[in-house]
Amino acid sequence: MTTFLRKRIVSSAIPLVVVVLGVFCLARLTGSPVNLYLPLSATAEQRAEFAAEHGFDQPVLVQLWDYVLGALRLDFGESLRTGQGAGEMVLAAFPATLQLAAVTMLIAIAGAVLIGSLAAYRPNSPADRTASFLSMTAASIPDFWFAIMGVLVFGVSLALLPTSGVDGGAEVWVLPIATLLIRPFGVLVQVVRGAMVAALSAPYVKLARSKGAGERRVVFGHALRNATVPALTVAGDLTIGLVNGAVVVETIFGWPGIGKLMIDSILQRDFAVLQAAVLLTAVTIFALNILIDVCYALLDPRVRQTAPA
Amino acid sequence: MLSSAPAATGHRPGSPDRPRRAPLRKFLRRAVVLTTAAATLSGCAVANSGSTGDAGAADGATLRIVLTQEPPTLEPCESSLTSTGVVVRSNISEPLIERDPTSGALRPLLSTGWRQSSPTTWTFTTRPGVRFHDGRPFTAEDAAFSIDRAVNSDLACNVDGYVFEGRDLGARADDANTLTVTTAEPDPILPLRLSFVKIVPRGTSTAAKVREPVGTGPYSIADWQTGVSISLRRNDDYWGPRPAFPAARYVWRGESSVRAAMITKGEADIAAGLDPEDADADHSVAYPNNETTALRLDGREAPLDDIRVRTAIGLAIDRRGITDALLDGLAEPAAQLVPEGVVGFNPAMTAPPPDPEAARRLVAEAAADGVPVDRPITLIARNAQFPRVSETAEALQYQLNQVGLRVRIQLADTAEHLQYQLRPMPVDAGPVALLIMHGNQAGDAAFTTSQYLISDGPQSNFGTPELDERIARADGLSGRARQDAFAAIFAAERETVAQYAYLAHMRGLLGIAKSVRYEPNSATGDELRLAAVTPADGQVR
Repeated sequence: MTTFLRKRIVSSAIPLVVVVLGVFCLARLTGSPVNLYLPLSATAEQRAEFAAEHGFDQPVLVQLWDYVLGALRLDFGESLRTGQGAGEMVLAAFPATLQLAAVTMLIAIAGAVLIGSLAAYRPNSPADRTASFLSMTAASIPDFWFAIMGVLVFGVSLALLPTSGVDGGAEVWVLPIATLLIRPFGVLVQVVRGAMVAALSAPYVKLARSKGAGERRVVFGHALRNATVPALTVAGDLTIGLVNGAVVVETIFGWPGIGKLMIDSILQRDFAVLQAAVLLTAVTIFALNILIDVCYALLDPRVRQTAPA
Repeated sequence: MLSSAPAATGHRPGSPDRPRRAPLRKFLRRAVVLTTAAATLSGCAVANSGSTGDAGAADGATLRIVLTQEPPTLEPCESSLTSTGVVVRSNISEPLIERDPTSGALRPLLSTGWRQSSPTTWTFTTRPGVRFHDGRPFTAEDAAFSIDRAVNSDLACNVDGYVFEGRDLGARADDANTLTVTTAEPDPILPLRLSFVKIVPRGTSTAAKVREPVGTGPYSIADWQTGVSISLRRNDDYWGPRPAFPAARYVWRGESSVRAAMITKGEADIAAGLDPEDADADHSVAYPNNETTALRLDGREAPLDDIRVRTAIGLAIDRRGITDALLDGLAEPAAQLVPEGVVGFNPAMTAPPPDPEAARRLVAEAAADGVPVDRPITLIARNAQFPRVSETAEALQYQLNQVGLRVRIQLADTAEHLQYQLRPMPVDAGPVALLIMHGNQAGDAAFTTSQYLISDGPQSNFGTPELDERIARADGLSGRARQDAFAAIFAAERETVAQYAYLAHMRGLLGIAKSVRYEPNSATGDELRLAAVTPADGQVR
């Protein structure tokens, strides 16, 4: 397991480094932030001074080196936009996104396992067809449209929920989570259903049934355990994809998370905040990948033996 | 045989199923624990008790406003930025003088009077009995300090660039209530320019911009929950009339339909910047916002270097069609860069109806003289600059193509658009028609001409020495002569330079709940005065 873990860490660290360095370099290709932050009347000297003060006058490799050195000291620089510490801004925004992602995935996994298993238990039954249709629809609905419809229907017309915001009780969570949930839930139901249909027709399930195992034990004890592996892999990818979905949710509902912060940083060429946000997100995804791999290996010992070098 | 059956179902220790069951359980248990822990640990950052919404309860005591975005700073010298100014100006920080957005007249605020004692010297009397939010008294020394800080310091304040165009000022306090301001050149509109300088107490940092300032305004900052809300409290020691609401709270939502929904639902009292499709007669009101849209044509590049082609573009545009069909009638066809109400507006200039035949003739004439009219012109528009901006760009593309030009559209974000908008502009971009939106909130044509019309203006591609001279002369005039000179400049520009193909004078849409009364004006988009808002019953809380 230690060897497996070491190999996984090395192979997962490569994309982490590529993403962080790629964003650093690509951000600088989008143009200088000087125009956004200095007044129209700024002289060439003031522009040069601004660039020097923030290190933009240095070659990209020197800027990159400074960034890496700073990051090792946990110094991510200051936001050009707000003057606050970039690391501080990112750490303040991150928990809000983490909360959304965690709760969303928990609900998605639990719901998908239940509905996917029930649908797979009687393939092509009305329940299965309904579940398949609804899950495919859910996976296809644009989250932006769903969010706005949610606001108009449940916020305005029915007045059951607040339109947006984070200040309140459980009710403020409903629409953001529903919006974030809809796609992973739809995909997971289909994955679990597909895996369960295959598992329930596998020889070992037939063997278990022939030996007198109860149906609950067959479904949840035998078939589901094997169907969990593909579902887990997809769930991991979906969790990582939630950062993208979070941008929409956070923008529409005023949720102060990292997705919105990242988009604002890109639009405002606020490089320090963007880099800090990408680094933290990449590290989180890295950790998540390792966690998924470990879970995967624990569930299926063959994985441990075939881990890439 | 029967005795072995139970073991075969998986209960037998050492069966193939056994070792894999524990990890599954462990995984599920860990997943639940991790998720719960993550949600709990970070829970306090987002979810609090109570269910009044971010903007607060509809208790009538808090004025709840939903903005389009969170201000990056409340620094007073950045209040010419819309997102900052809409919160700061005349609410938290005040200037010496304010401009009436409707009449254009200057009114005393922290200055009770002013006079020009020489062409380059102005004397202001400052208001006695005014205190900053921290209790310190306001004096002429604070005014001198604030002017010096905003205009002469190394802070690179936006007000310095947008309003003073980099000119340095001399500011000194002669006594506690007398301030003298000197300019290098005569500046007849200095008091108007100073209406953009917000007063801060001496001792405010001159090395770094402040995020949360101290001011003299009717409200002070109570709490800024970054990412969530800004709360203001009424300044009970305010020198002027007491505002109706004891508190105000700002939240921000990027989506217009959500802002509109918050008004309909009663979660907010005022919503900024609604899109036309989100407006309804009961909850929204349109107002002229002093913004004008136009195509800025790069006259340095063929075929736009030929005035016949530039004129043809002006003739090809169906302004009324665009304002009616795409801007929902919330705009008026424009013939110049400033709307009515701005000193220098030329009432004799009217937006011509589209004349594609005449435009085609001009293009054909230019082509016959060797102008490469089939060279593609890049029409660059900015995302979200105004509602339906991309559809407007498509309509313009179609109309210009119809008269024999070739146009391709490029949509840009703000930073990219600024690269084309400001000097130094890209030199290898080819012929560019930049869709701009210019807001003249200061109320004087000088702020437009110095940016957009002089040959080397920060936002101008080209011009003529004659027009530059006329602009410089007009800038030294005052009163009626100033009005006439700038009005003539706008007419001359269209005839002799034609750098712009004008599109529309825009209007803003404000969401207003039935619970409050407020009449928006041309400054509302940049300066939403809380003291001008009252509860529907008119009572001071």
